[in-house]
Amino acid sequence: MAQRAVWLVRHEPGTPVCGTVRFSRRFPTVEKRAKVFNGASYVPIPEDGPFLKALLFELRLLDNDKVFVESRDSCSRINKTSVYGLSVGGEELWPVVAFLKNGMIYACVPLVEQTLSPRPALISISGISQGLEFLFGMQDFLYSSQKNDTELNTKLSQLPDLLLQACPFGTLLDANLQNSLDNIGFASVTQPQKQPAWKAGTYKGKPQISISITEKCDLEGIMPNVTISLNLPTNGSPLQDILVHPCVTSLDSAILTSSSLDTMDDSAFSGPYKFPFTPPLESFSLCYYTSQVPVPPILGFYQMKEEEVQLKILVNLKLHESVKNNFEFCEAHIPFFNRGPITHLECKVSFGQLEVFREKSLLVWIIGQKFPKSMEISLSGTVTFGVKGHNKQPFDQICIGSTAYVKLHFRILDYTLTGCYADQHSVQVFASGKPKISTNRKLISSDYYIWNSKAPAPVTYISLLP
Amino acid sequence: MGPLSREAWAQRLGAFRMSPSTFMAGAESEDLGRDLLSDLRNEKLSEPTKVSLLALSLEYPDKLWPDALAAEAAATFLLDTLLLLPPRPSALRRPLLLAATTTLLVGGALSPTSGASCRLLPLLLGLALGRDVGRGFGPTSEQRLLQATACECLRELESCKPGLLRGSLGLLRSLSGQAGPIQPLSMLLALVLRNTLVVQSRSGAGLQDLLVAGVFSPGGGSWDWTLAEEADDQLLPQTPSWPAAEKEPGLAGLEPSPEEARELRAAVAQLLDTSYLLTTVAQAQLLWLLGWALRGLRGQSPVIFKPQLARLLGTAQVTLLHSVLALKAAFGEALFTAQDEALLLRRLTLAAQHPALPSPTHLFYLHCLLSFPENSPLGLEGEEAAPLLLGHQLCRSLMPDLLNDPMAFLARLHLLCLLCAEDEEQEKGQVPSPRQYLLELLAGLRQRAALDGSPQDLATLCFQASYLVASCLAMQPSVVKPLIHGLSQLYRARPLLAPRFVDLLDRVGPELGRPLKEVLWQEVVTRPGKGEALCCHLQILEKVAEGGAHRATLNFLQAAAIHCTDWGRQQALLRVCQALLRTGGGDGLADLLQGLARQLEDPDGRDHARLYYSLLVHLAGPKLRVALGPSLATPTLASSLVAENQGFVATLMVQETPPPIRLSVEPHRAKGPLPMLQLQVEVLDPAYSLELRFCVQGQLYAPLKAIHIPCLCPGRPAHPLYLPLQPRRPAPAQLHVQALYTTPTGLTCHAHLPPLTVNFANLFLPFPQIPKGSERDFFERLWDSCLPKGVESCVWCPLGPQGLEALVSHHLEPFVVVAQPPTSYHIAICLPPDSMLLLRLEAAQVDGVPVVLRTNDWDLLPLAGDYIRGLAAC
Repeated sequence: MAQRAVWLVRHEPGTPVCGTVRFSRRFPTVEKRAKVFNGASYVPIPEDGPFLKALLFELRLLDNDKVFVESRDSCSRINKTSVYGLSVGGEELWPVVAFLKNGMIYACVPLVEQTLSPRPALISISGISQGLEFLFGMQDFLYSSQKNDTELNTKLSQLPDLLLQACPFGTLLDANLQNSLDNIGFASVTQPQKQPAWKAGTYKGKPQISISITEKCDLEGIMPNVTISLNLPTNGSPLQDILVHPCVTSLDSAILTSSSLDTMDDSAFSGPYKFPFTPPLESFSLCYYTSQVPVPPILGFYQMKEEEVQLKILVNLKLHESVKNNFEFCEAHIPFFNRGPITHLECKVSFGQLEVFREKSLLVWIIGQKFPKSMEISLSGTVTFGVKGHNKQPFDQICIGSTAYVKLHFRILDYTLTGCYADQHSVQVFASGKPKISTNRKLISSDYYIWNSKAPAPVTYISLLP
Repeated sequence: MGPLSREAWAQRLGAFRMSPSTFMAGAESEDLGRDLLSDLRNEKLSEPTKVSLLALSLEYPDKLWPDALAAEAAATFLLDTLLLLPPRPSALRRPLLLAATTTLLVGGALSPTSGASCRLLPLLLGLALGRDVGRGFGPTSEQRLLQATACECLRELESCKPGLLRGSLGLLRSLSGQAGPIQPLSMLLALVLRNTLVVQSRSGAGLQDLLVAGVFSPGGGSWDWTLAEEADDQLLPQTPSWPAAEKEPGLAGLEPSPEEARELRAAVAQLLDTSYLLTTVAQAQLLWLLGWALRGLRGQSPVIFKPQLARLLGTAQVTLLHSVLALKAAFGEALFTAQDEALLLRRLTLAAQHPALPSPTHLFYLHCLLSFPENSPLGLEGEEAAPLLLGHQLCRSLMPDLLNDPMAFLARLHLLCLLCAEDEEQEKGQVPSPRQYLLELLAGLRQRAALDGSPQDLATLCFQASYLVASCLAMQPSVVKPLIHGLSQLYRARPLLAPRFVDLLDRVGPELGRPLKEVLWQEVVTRPGKGEALCCHLQILEKVAEGGAHRATLNFLQAAAIHCTDWGRQQALLRVCQALLRTGGGDGLADLLQGLARQLEDPDGRDHARLYYSLLVHLAGPKLRVALGPSLATPTLASSLVAENQGFVATLMVQETPPPIRLSVEPHRAKGPLPMLQLQVEVLDPAYSLELRFCVQGQLYAPLKAIHIPCLCPGRPAHPLYLPLQPRRPAPAQLHVQALYTTPTGLTCHAHLPPLTVNFANLFLPFPQIPKGSERDFFERLWDSCLPKGVESCVWCPLGPQGLEALVSHHLEPFVVVAQPPTSYHIAICLPPDSMLLLRLEAAQVDGVPVVLRTNDWDLLPLAGDYIRGLAAC
């Protein structure tokens, strides 16, 4: 269970090599073991240059990747995981765990403690999940609270020292690199017994707990045990698919089994959902859940029809009466893909304002903080497009022809769709001192699409669910 | 080189990291390791710079100190540097310990005879156990960090040299219950415990109180070098992959006493109980390690893991859930009841699509579902399948849709295919059925791929999905038929995808391949195009055209020829012709080729057309196929032209090959007017129309006739061959032999066989027509006729134990004219063209017989002498 090497590669399309290795680290003691375990199937870790080239090729991130290359694109070469085989110097380096996120490619090569031919199943290689966790850890470290390139560079320059702490020999000790950074600072503190390894030090300050239900929970202070209960009102939709943070010490089986995969009935468990845990120092997400609310908060339809040279569009939106009519913001985005720029627009909105981004072929309908009394608003009009410019207008692989959508973006504070809330008085803290407890809730739209009802929408399988 | 500044080092390290091999090939390379070490003690350099120097030595010790000797010296230097540090806090202690450990391990210098090893190990153990390790070893504030580091170093040593810390097991165990950093000590203890179990089990030894606290001796002595001394292949996988690990004997060799079993259980329970204090990745390591360590160990029930499971199942942390799967694989039903298995599958299904998790995690969980270690698996080992308990309901929640990213789409599509394959019978009533949905999805993919200017990724996904469906559901016409129809529509919409169609045709089985070829052919010949589309059509046609029948193909080509104005297109056109030739030609093809040979603008094109025409009219079908088939002369060259040319060369020219047969000369009873060589044939490879050509050196014989054999096959008995010789002089000779033949693939080959030797005795013939009754007179007349032109000589012929009679009957029987066995023989040998050799063998003694010989040919004398002297040895 170890990594042979790890890389961070910046994807830079348009440059000659299309990328640079921003960070790499090899673990020679692990490499030595790999040589013995892999035997004749051993392929050494390449230097950064050849690795970069092979990685970008395999991930199809080179600029000239527009042609069909049988060795990579053949229909029978099906890859269903983020694990790749890279062709380096005529041999295949496998398994390479890699993914691209925010223009950065995270990659590592886990140790496989046996021969690689035949290849063992990924599920039986412990280093795969460890590698993923390692890369997620680096990603979190680089992109948490990071705003610009200077900050990114600072963080990158901290990585060698951090890895000395978090992964000195290729076996990951802690995926939370921020912990390691804090560890350096806390080195001089004499620590009590049984200090969890994931808690970098002791907290000195006023104890406080703040809970925020956007599936997010903030809290600070060293306390052996806290129990938070999430409650639902009588008509609330049950929470399902609950995933908890590893610091949660035990879980009710009803929480464990409540799942969106089941058919809903009245007997479904509806809380209270108790989460006893020992909190880490940093703010963390205590749990994630999903829920199936009976009606969407904003109902609506979208009709778009092509009429000769122009598009005729009609959007109708209606806020459900049970939903709090007090938005932080609410907008409807109406994009037009695979077309030229907007050259002509005749549009009428019953409420709010319309912004036009001609070059981006996009309409943004700003609805604002409140729906009108009637709760119903509409937009109608015609749009004409010019000749498609090269790569200027957005391309989409789904929205072909009349397949189109309106996407809603909104946020409502102090409100949850499920009705879920955390009662301050129900928070149990088993520690000396009385912590300050604060809670808040909010509802944020994520992928809220209304598809054109006059054309086929992308297939969904909902209809097959009984 | 003097001490370098910070900037100079930064530059040098940058250059090294850019490409270590290039740097090491340069002039500066030799000094790097030395400079690096000496600058660790350079007071002008800051600690961060020194840490980055140490970081380099952690990554590339093999480049800096390539052999054991250099590694030993470097480690000694690093340890000295550690001791020289002033007693205030320093950032160097940790990396120095790490670097010394790495250097010894990677350089192969770790051994009981290495001074550095003997210093490092007690130091690490002392630090790990929280003892006072002597003067100036950092302030107390740093101790905890150093303790953790020492544990990590020891863990790495134990990983690379399993069993090394076996003697310290008890000590470590006693310590982990007390103060100290919990994670490093737990992880070290778990590894040492596991390695000890495996090592003791392999050697057949018991646990021998190893679990009970030992006594710490600062001078060492608790190291177990026995295994560390052995070859590297003694490495133990810490987290073995199943199913390979399942076949291992496990720990059957270990038979702990009830006392030991209790002690072991307590140790494991202690580790598990505090595991929640470890980071998630460390918890996962601990579970893998202990799970596979206890598997199959008598007296240890896996139930000990149960309290951890409920806690772990609630999270979707990829390492934790993975370690639960590892426990599942290790213990199966012993730890997971059917209900537990169902719950695990539920959690996995849920995590495979949970919006809070990133895509790589989804993909990994999808893989885990398809390779799930079931309690009672039905499918083949190693083959992806939907677990039985997954059920349709869960399965359906993982259906693909076009909004998935390509990899998730393919993984889910695979699941859908498995569902369709299973459902073949049952689903008739369902509307819409999974199969219907599958077909809609494929149609959606094709629609996207058909989009003008759509990215290559979409086309790749479309063809990969088609391939996946074709390979899972090839036997279901209700899937294959619409798939074929859809693909032909796709080709019509976007002929530019031709290379992908060719690739697909190459990969799929005949169930899809054959009908797809048919519809693509239809698509091409009914829609002739120009420009790029024509190129694509030709590419497809090359793949799908069958010779023999289709007038439509020829018409298409005829029409296309007009648009083939450049070299590239002409070649594409000719490749189709070639494909037709290979598959049987057809009536109109000769006319077409003849036309092309006149009509094409490019001279190369015309030449090719002419060549194909000549081949078509001159060669029979099988030979033609071989002539146009892929070249047998590997490796294939990049250029198709060259490769094609090689094909012709291979077929139309004679190939030089190793001989397909082996020949040997057999003893033969001479008869007739000429000496005859009897040849025995041993067949190595099949050969047809074999012609053997013989050539004798120095014109000793008249030119020899070739022998023809229609067919030779290995394993079938071959008749002997007779080669008549016409000597011009009666002398032995070497025959050079060549074989010319055809292989079963139709190639004409030529081989040189090893030369055959014609011995003197092979030329012997008896005298014909000796008058009956007057043999003695006949011999005497011959005897007298030799002189005075000829010569007489006397030779001693040694006799073997069998005596004269046996010798004569064995070698000279046909030539005896007068015989008075067993003492006297008169022998006359005729040697064409006109020589004779007469022998009188009389008055034999025990060990030999004097032979008087006469011949009419002086030149025969030495040959005859050698022959007679060598007879007994034959």
